[in-house]
Amino acid sequence: MNDRAQLHTLEGLSAAFIITLTVLTITQSTIIVTPQNELAMDVQLEQLSSDSLAVIDMAEHGPIRNNLTECIAGWDMTEAAYPDNNLEELDAPLSYLLPGILYNVDLAYFNNDDLNVKKVIIHGSPSENAVVVRHLVTLTNETVSLAGGGWNLADDEIKVVEVRMTAWKV
Amino acid sequence: MESLKDDTKGQWIALSGLVISLILIGLAALANQAMLAGYHSSNAALEFPKENIRELNLHTKDNARIIRDLSLSINQTSNETVPVIFENLFDSYSDQVKKLHAVHGETVNVSLVSINSTNGTYNHDIDMILVNIRYNDGNTYYASEPEMIEVRE
Repeated sequence: MNDRAQLHTLEGLSAAFIITLTVLTITQSTIIVTPQNELAMDVQLEQLSSDSLAVIDMAEHGPIRNNLTECIAGWDMTEAAYPDNNLEELDAPLSYLLPGILYNVDLAYFNNDDLNVKKVIIHGSPSENAVVVRHLVTLTNETVSLAGGGWNLADDEIKVVEVRMTAWKV
Repeated sequence: MESLKDDTKGQWIALSGLVISLILIGLAALANQAMLAGYHSSNAALEFPKENIRELNLHTKDNARIIRDLSLSINQTSNETVPVIFENLFDSYSDQVKKLHAVHGETVNVSLVSINSTNGTYNHDIDMILVNIRYNDGNTYYASEPEMIEVRE
């Protein structure tokens, strides 16, 4: 039996203990890391979604046929029933501007002090890290008539409609 | 155990092992700090209502032009002057915007300060308005008082 190098054995044990401690610390940190990455992705997703609505709102009959106001003005006032969407004019440019991103679009507006929220585009159930962006459009009887929509507005009436998009990555 | 006390070899190895472990712990702590900084900056970017404020400003400007055009159109068949029609429509806009933001827990106030016409045809056309825009979501307060909007394009 040889009892030499016992100090080396103890040293090995303590080194293993310290390394285990370090690895545990790093592993624990990664638990905090995960939501941070998700938050950073949420920021990008929110910016992307908001920009896409802004781009459609600014569109002047180029590659995007109707701008956001015209799309909303042309709505026939019936809600979407999954999987059929009820605002194809808006769905087409959105799917082009948001590749790999799913979204639902609701329209919110007031009618005689009553809030109406109508679903017009449904692509599924939002995931946990979905973001919501909003954009306002103003409708008049003239814009509705030109777009052939179902809004029943008087000649001297304006209707402010909130386009509410819930977007999430798959 | 006697031989352990007497054996003083390999002290450099033991020391370097300790130093490397301490360096690893330090690096892990630094990495953790960087992640925390990332969390706070991302969270701040998400919470700050940049897009909402920008949207409120831009929409008010766009809307003022829409209301001016509509006022001129209504004026053709109405006895009321353009500024009176404009004021009524702007009040309606302000009311709707206030309610739509209130749904999200935000206080918004868009009020008309004055309607101006620089070419002397005040009752028949307007070219500039002043509005006060206020936004408050409990954390962020924004005010633009007054915001000057040219409504004649």
